[in-house]
This record gives sequence, structure tokens and C-alpha cells, in this order.
Amino acid sequence: MNAVKQKDLILYSGLIILGLAAPFLFSAFKVQLTYLCVLIVLAMTWNLQGGEMGYNSFGNILFYGLGMYLTASVQVGMFFPLAEWTESGGEKTFVHTTAQYFQGIGVGLLVAAIVPTIVAGAIGYAILGLRGHYFAICTLGLGIAAGEIAGGIEIIGAGQGFTTPPFPAEIVDPEARGQFFYFLSFLVLVLAFVFVKYIYGSRFRLILNAIRDNEDKAEAMGIQTMKYKIVGWMCSAFFCGLAGGIMGGLIGYIDSTDVAFDGREMGVFMVLMAILGGKGTLWGPVIGATLFHFFKEGLWTFILGWQYVALGVLIVVIVVYFPEGLMGWLREKYPDRFGEVIDEKDRKAQVEIK
Amino acid sequence: MNKLVKLFTIFISAITLTLASISSSFAKVEGEYIVLGSAISLTGKYSSNGVHTQNGYNMAVERINKMGGVNVGGKSYKFEIIYYDDESNPKRAAQLAERLIKQDGVHYMLGPYSSGLTKAIAPVTEKYKIPMVEANGASRSLFTKGYKYLFAVLSPANQYLEVAIDLAVEKNGGKPVRIAQAFEQDAFSQDVRLGILDAAKRTGSKIIIDDKLPKELNDMAATLAKVKATKPDVLVVSGHTKGALTAIRQISEMKVDVPMLAMTHCDAAKLSKQHGKNSEYALCASQWHKNLSYKDKFFGGGKKYDKDFKKEFGYAPPYQSAESSAALLVFKDAFERANSFDRDKVRDALKATDMQTFYGNIKFGPGGQNVAKPMILFQVRCKGDTCENKVVAPTKWASDKFYHPIPKWSERS
Repeated sequence: MNAVKQKDLILYSGLIILGLAAPFLFSAFKVQLTYLCVLIVLAMTWNLQGGEMGYNSFGNILFYGLGMYLTASVQVGMFFPLAEWTESGGEKTFVHTTAQYFQGIGVGLLVAAIVPTIVAGAIGYAILGLRGHYFAICTLGLGIAAGEIAGGIEIIGAGQGFTTPPFPAEIVDPEARGQFFYFLSFLVLVLAFVFVKYIYGSRFRLILNAIRDNEDKAEAMGIQTMKYKIVGWMCSAFFCGLAGGIMGGLIGYIDSTDVAFDGREMGVFMVLMAILGGKGTLWGPVIGATLFHFFKEGLWTFILGWQYVALGVLIVVIVVYFPEGLMGWLREKYPDRFGEVIDEKDRKAQVEIK
Repeated sequence: MNKLVKLFTIFISAITLTLASISSSFAKVEGEYIVLGSAISLTGKYSSNGVHTQNGYNMAVERINKMGGVNVGGKSYKFEIIYYDDESNPKRAAQLAERLIKQDGVHYMLGPYSSGLTKAIAPVTEKYKIPMVEANGASRSLFTKGYKYLFAVLSPANQYLEVAIDLAVEKNGGKPVRIAQAFEQDAFSQDVRLGILDAAKRTGSKIIIDDKLPKELNDMAATLAKVKATKPDVLVVSGHTKGALTAIRQISEMKVDVPMLAMTHCDAAKLSKQHGKNSEYALCASQWHKNLSYKDKFFGGGKKYDKDFKKEFGYAPPYQSAESSAALLVFKDAFERANSFDRDKVRDALKATDMQTFYGNIKFGPGGQNVAKPMILFQVRCKGDTCENKVVAPTKWASDKFYHPIPKWSERS
């Protein structure tokens, strides 16, 4: 047991060192690496309720978009009138000082983490009574509705979009902005990972699994399933909000349906990444997100105009050949490496029955 | 578990190696090529206009390269463009701009299609001090941000249909008119709307319907039903290509009678071809028309451009293609005047641009917008079954008289 822990320690410290060194090693890829961190966070937290709890949600994009708008709004609103900012030209009139910029984004991210969590609680209370496909369809509507509503609110730019505060001009180094956003996203990634890992070792996860495997039985055993389902979703919302806030600052321009409440892309991607890697595993979403990002960045340039066809093919391949994801596939092939003991007698007995 | 750790180590080192091997940057000028970068919408909701833009760029690159290329420091260089597909998504566009600059080492950019995407890319090019000549981002708010490296060869969006309102007031005997308008929820169309609001205020006109249309614009029957009931003097619609097509389709289906119909993107939508007689009398804002008398030595005039483009791509060039071609002429001119590949020198040369192209005069204002070229309005007119776009305003180039009011559907054959 101790030896395993030591191995883990080496693995984790290696990963953290790699993560810290990455923006310097691959300076040109900072933005892509930031995207990768965010994608992993989204996949990992989606897995919490999609994989562990068995509630497939397309609605996490709601929290992501909400976080994005909130961070930007707070960052502007703390120092300047928001309405004048979003009307064209505000960015030129009002300039954040370095201190204001970082204070703003700090408070903004805090709000972006808390508010979506509360919203998830409220919405969860209302709709987590739905099960299976009904829940999935309902959450699909959430993201779309949010996009249309945000597109009509003048104070956050409506259809014109919202230009987030530019990185302070006093910091001359053009690399600084990329580094700042990378380390911010890496920090969130580490936090999210530690949190999910903690959950994996807790009773909470077992309860989520019980809900997934048989909700009625779980209820019959005295588990207050509704309470746990809501808390599970709130955990996802917390990190989705943070991820959204970072992305808003990084992209620099928020559009209601294409950037913030981007259910068609981000909303689907996070599900896809988790499934690709393997639902209901700790490392699955991490590997899924990494592979997906590499596939997307590496291959898509070479098949201009056909990327979505390739994506479609990828989805078909995943569903047909790796229904349990890469981790699930590995687990089936090499169960002993996952610490699963196979009872040879039992296995033989099963074969004989056939 | 032991082997699992090993697996991860292999996995991660593989990634590290791949990244490191492609990390080396390329040069902005390779051998005899000047490499430009552009993120273009080849898929997604702007795909048709994205292709118009790309065709415009390609046509100009080919022409300039064939006619001697770009002369800098006594040597002749050729243009080359690296394209990526931004999927009509601002997030993707910003990411690709970063990629073009940081990984492909591009030092000069051409704009994407649409205002929203240009808005997403401009902060990136500005940050790295990369000069960008763009031909398809008309939103006024692009030019009020104090960008120093953004240059647009087109007139700002708020000017698109202002003239149409003036025209309507004029036809109404100088009296204010009642306006019904419907605009897509995006940066460009919302700016066109601001222009109309200004014009309405100036002329004392009243806006009686002010609708917002969704981005995937396939239905505007609700707006048209209101138009039928309230009978406004002018109906203004803007929503890129889909907006123009949807409007004409549903107006003809629902037989909506309105004295004047003003739109954008009629030629990009090939309205006169696709909807023929149903689109007759529609008034359209355009950045360019082949009948204008501008000239340059690469494309000759508008008519020649029209002919060459048709030969190359098999359809008549919409203004989106023309302005995209013009963007490369501007770049060539600036490189030659700067006589250097120093980004800031090229930027200063761009700033001082004052030239005529087949597409129009180009001179950049303080915000980077083109101040030397007016917008034009054309009207779709039909003879028998063939319909054509005829310039009706401004009077300097008008080939036909503006037909007003539009006859009722019951009187149209």
C-alpha cells in the first residue's frame, strides 16, 4: 500500500512539475495548453454527475457561460459603469490599471464560482427529479435558453457581444498575458483534480454510484438521493463557473451563443471527452480531454472544412468500439492492473454454463 | 498500478516530444514568399460568405503573383496565405489567430469573415502588434477601440442602410416615415440597426416594429405578420445571407405588401438568381458594384473583375469577394511603400494608404476604417425572368431610377 502511494507521489509531482514548466518549454503553445487545462476541468467535473451519478447533463454549459459573463461584468462593474462599457467604445474610455485588472478578475472569479453553484442548487431542486433521457433533454434546453436570454440583455452587450477588459497595458511583456491565464487555469485544474480525487475516496462517491446503479434501491436504503444529486451537480457548477471566467478573459470577446453558452461545441465536447476517456473513472476524463484536444488541434488543420465529419466519425468509433471509453477498454483487457482480482474458478464456472 | 504509472509516463513523454518537435517557429517571409495568415469560416453559419472571402483573397494572390509580385528592397516576393477554418465561432477564431502568430510565425494577417469574428481576433493581433487588413468586419465598435494595427477596407456597418431611410423620407415628400425593422442578434446587424436609429432620429421617423432575430435565421414569420397588420412605410431586414434569403422567401409566401424593403447581403445571397421575380424591388446596401468606375492596374475595372471572377469560380462576385481582393492590393501597396518587412514600418505605411482600387478609393481614418468610399444602394430589377442588381444611389453612379413604391403582390404578375 505504501509503495503504491510512493508511486503516486512520483507521478503527481512529475505532472505538477511538467505543468509548471510547460509554458516555458512550449512557449508558443501557451494558449492551447490553457484550453487543455480548461477542457480537462470541464470533462472531469462533468464526469462527477454524468459518470458517477449517471445523470447525463448537457446543461453544464449554463454554468460555464454564467461564469464567463459574471467574471467580465464584475471586473468591469467594480470600477466603471457597465452599461457604458458595453456600448461601443467603452473599452477606450475606461482603462483598467494593473491593480484594478487583477483585483477585478479575482473578485470576478469568486463570484463566477459561487453564483453558478447557487443556480445549480436552485435548478437542481427543480429538475433533478427527472431521470434518464428526460433529465438530459431538459438540461439541453437550459443552455439554449440561457444563450437566447443573454443575447437580449443590453447591459452585457446583447447581440453586440461583450469585450472583456484588455490585459493591463503597463505590463509590456506580450508573454505575460498567456502565462497569467495558463497558471490560473492550471491552478483551477489542480484544485479540481484534488477535489475529485478526494471525492473518489469518500462515501459521497459511493452514494453517487448507488444513485447511478439503482436510484430506487438507494432511496429504499435510506439515502436522501435528492440531496446528494443536488450537491453533486453544485460541485460541477462550481468548477464550470471558474473555467468559464478564465476562458472569458482569455478569449477577450464574449458572444452570447457562440462563446458563452456554446452548447453546440463546449457543451457537447465536455460530454464527448469524458466518454472518450471513460466515464466513471478518475483518469478517464483527463486522458479523454487530452487526446481530444490533440486530435482537434493536430488533425483539424489538415482536413479544412471536413473537421466535423471527422468528429462525427470519431464519435461513432468511440461508441461502437470503446463504449466504456479508453479507461474502460483498458480495464477490461488488463483488469489486474486496475487492482481487480479475478476469481479463476468463478470465471471458469461462467464459461462452463455457457 | 505499477504498469499503469509506466503507461502514463510513456503517454506524457510522447506528448512532450511531439510538442517540442513542432515548437520551432516558421519565418514570416520564407524565401520568396510573404506569408499572410487568415482564419476563415469554411464551415458553420458564415460558411458561404467565408468562401466568398477566401475566393477573393485567392484571386488577388494569384493575380498579384502573376503580375510581378511585391517588390521590396529590389527583390520580388510572392504572397502566400495560411488558412484555418474558424467554424464561424469567435472563440475558435481568437485561438487560431494566436496559433497563426505564435506557432506559424505569421507577421501579417488578413481578416476573417464577419464583425463578430473580427472583434475576437483584433485584440490578439493588437497584443502582438501584427498589422491586420480586414475586409469583412464592418461593425462600428471595431473602430472606436483605438486599435492601432487594424485596417478595414470597407465602410462601417452603421452606414449601410442610413441612406435608405433618407431615400424613404424623400419619397414621402420629406415627411417622417414609419419604420419596421428586424435584425439578427449579432455584432454586424446590430450596428446596422444603430445606423437606422440615428437616421430615424435625424428625420423624425418613428420605429414601430423593432425585432431581434435569432442567429440561425430560418424563420421571421412573426415579424412579417406584424408588418402585415401595421403597414409601415419601410421594412428593414439585416441578418447576413440567411436573413436576406429568409426575408424574401417568407415575404413572397405570405404576400406581405410594403412600399419599401431595404436589406443587406442581397448579392452574397445571390438573391436575384435564387428567388428571381420574388426578390424584385428589394433595395440593398452594398460596399461595391461592378458598374462603378473605379480602376486599378491589377484587375482593371469592376466589369473586368466580374468577368475574371466568373471564369475562375463560376459565379458573379459578391462585394465580399471584391473587398477581400482589395485587401491584398492594400497590403502589396503598403509593403512596397514601406520597402521593408519591419512590422511597424508596414503598419505606418498602411496608415498612410491613399489609393484607388477597382473596388473603390481606400484611405484609412483614425480608427482604421475606410473613409474614402461611400456605400451604394442597388435595387433588384427584372426583365422577363432574368433579374439584375441595378445601382440606384448615390446619384453619381446610379444606372437606373429607384422604383417606388413596390407594387402590391396582387398587382404583380
